[in-house]
Amino acid sequence: MPSWAEFQPYIVTGLALGGLYALSGVGLVVLYRATGVLNLAFGAVGAMGAFIAYSIIQAGDPGWVAWITCIVFGGVVTLGYGMVFGPALAGRGPLVQSISTLGLALVLFGVIDLAWPTTGGQSPSISFPTDSGGFSIGQLQVNWTQVIALGLGIVITVGTGAFLRYSKLGTAMRAMANDREITATLGVPIRRVEAAAWLGCGLLSGIAGIMLADLSALDDTTLVFTVVISALAAALIGQLRSISVTFVAALVIGLVHDLLTPITQLANYQDMTPFVLAAIALLVMSRGQVMTRSREEG
Amino acid sequence: MNRSVHWRTRTAAAAVAALSLGVLAACSSSSSSSGSGASSSSAPAASSAAATGANSATAGTTSTSSCGTKPGVAATGTPINIGAINTKQPGTDFSDIENMTGAYFACVNANGGINGHPIKYFPVTEQTSPAQIASLAKQLVTTDHVVGIMGNSSIIECSVDAAYWKSVGIDVLGAGIDPECYSTPNTASVNMGPRYSSDGAVQYVMAQGATKIAFDQSNVPGTAYIADGPNALAKAKGVAIQDFTENVPITSANAIATKLVTAAGPSGAVVLNFTPPEALLILQAAQKLNLEDRVKYWACSTPCNTDFLATSLGPKWNGKLFVNAELLPLDGNTSATAQLFDAILKQYGSNVSGGVGSFSEMGFTIGEIATHALEGVKGPYTVASVSAALEGVSNFNTGMLCQGYTYGKYPEHIPNNMDYTVTPDNGKFVQASTGGGCTLISADDPQIAAYRAVAGTAPAVG
Repeated sequence: MPSWAEFQPYIVTGLALGGLYALSGVGLVVLYRATGVLNLAFGAVGAMGAFIAYSIIQAGDPGWVAWITCIVFGGVVTLGYGMVFGPALAGRGPLVQSISTLGLALVLFGVIDLAWPTTGGQSPSISFPTDSGGFSIGQLQVNWTQVIALGLGIVITVGTGAFLRYSKLGTAMRAMANDREITATLGVPIRRVEAAAWLGCGLLSGIAGIMLADLSALDDTTLVFTVVISALAAALIGQLRSISVTFVAALVIGLVHDLLTPITQLANYQDMTPFVLAAIALLVMSRGQVMTRSREEG
Repeated sequence: MNRSVHWRTRTAAAAVAALSLGVLAACSSSSSSSGSGASSSSAPAASSAAATGANSATAGTTSTSSCGTKPGVAATGTPINIGAINTKQPGTDFSDIENMTGAYFACVNANGGINGHPIKYFPVTEQTSPAQIASLAKQLVTTDHVVGIMGNSSIIECSVDAAYWKSVGIDVLGAGIDPECYSTPNTASVNMGPRYSSDGAVQYVMAQGATKIAFDQSNVPGTAYIADGPNALAKAKGVAIQDFTENVPITSANAIATKLVTAAGPSGAVVLNFTPPEALLILQAAQKLNLEDRVKYWACSTPCNTDFLATSLGPKWNGKLFVNAELLPLDGNTSATAQLFDAILKQYGSNVSGGVGSFSEMGFTIGEIATHALEGVKGPYTVASVSAALEGVSNFNTGMLCQGYTYGKYPEHIPNNMDYTVTPDNGKFVQASTGGGCTLISADDPQIAAYRAVAGTAPAVG
């Protein structure tokens, strides 16, 4: 078993990844609460945005143009999907609505493979200027990109919480999460509220995509699937309702994932982290609900 | 209560969706793994730089007419049918090897052919399906009536078809990946493969004074066999070595880079055996975390030998990263072989998508050896006569390999067991100034020792 000092670097890398999983999870939860749709295309949209950003940088344009393009791309594509398919699928169950977003993910996945093939041994990558700057805590090296990743996770979570609690639009989203039909009869413009949720989720997918392209890899499989799985696990642990629990769960997933790295016997199983943690959390929560129900009925 | 039930329904639906996604991800990951495993082989990646032809030396100064015995005279005799099988799937594409061999054959055909006979080439591609690969092999023999297999490069083809080739008497010339490409009597490769290329990288950093090795590769079948080589070398020299494997695609390169640097220590070396994309991820992560100078050396097996990787990494790695190169470093090379390579690539290699690089070099070298062997056939071109001619190739100077190439009639074949070492130099890979020239892979690897026991040690060629 590695020593505490040997574990320390992985706290930094794990928290950075966890921060991005957190903002992704928050994006999923907000959209789910407002529309009932679990957006499985979250990673794919961000991935495609990141690949477009890569091409922009390769063309010689400034990095900030590429980053903004990635984020805007995420917002536009997700909003477009929500506006076109959202109303048509609104009457269907949550499973149908979620699986339809998986269709979007696979389409984008295919487009990425076609447009950015990986033949010839080439591999695209994105780097931020903040990669080369940072600070040390003892033997620990921390770069600014890692700080930004964790900071974004915190800011997005706190900001979203405040938005849902104090803004009119946020209140409408919370109301829709409780009962869409009653909310509509109260005069809330549900299409507009849903559009805002789709847009917000899309913008977050763009942010997550570009950040993970730097911190993890500009790789379609990684960005399309791994991110969604980790974020989804965090959201499930948050019961698809609580953004604060989602935030904490995401950090734990990122931390546990990276802390397993130096443990040779477990390192090759670290990709199971989101599944295992989500399964444990769901089991514990369902057991709690069964016990509560038993007490109510007894 | 209703809300609770409602929530549970939604959560269950979400969990089902997540499960579906997980299955999908697993499928996708598995496909990529095959890819990270392939490439963890030593069939290296092609350089991008030269797709434009901006390669080696004085491109175009050598005419392609030198690849045949009758310059400018197209061969018109009965064709000699030759086949090849390459892996070509998303993430893993070795078809540049057979495409470059095909370009070499086209050049030969346009300049007199093989004793007047043109080579009719049947290159096919597979997607790592054993059934498909076995079927393609039979198709080449029974439908296309090939008399030789030259230009193979596949993740699993050697292991799938070795017994079949032996049963029909065909000797295969290719660029190997799986162990059977080196350990069976009917197959010989022009490259060293992942194990011996990793040996080369490890012995280089040990020769430069590294006191501990952290050896990392993809977590795919066969990694233990590959790791046995570097471990044997390190053990023989009393150098500590620690093995790691990573699931691919890599999702947390920062953590992996940190782990490897910690394991190697300040006087040690990190040695990677990955495809270029995965190796680049780890190296870039080290760079982002300012870890590149926390170990004495970084090294890589052959796949890292692509100018694209050198360009992506930047000058910080000049003289810090050392990559095993199984074939002639082409950047700045003015040899006749390098010029002929360039000329053929330009005139006949339009389908060699990666341009100049290890893949196309391997294809070219296979073309050279195949042509040399076929020219030695007396009488009709049959499976038996072509296989006999291949087995007769002895100490042939390809101009691409450190040693003369010998096929021979041996129970195993590791004819390329002497390598170069290259290092990045401002976006290109150049021969390392210290110890980068042709160096024998150490016989401390028992497989190398076993091969040399039956085939001897081929000397370096001038």
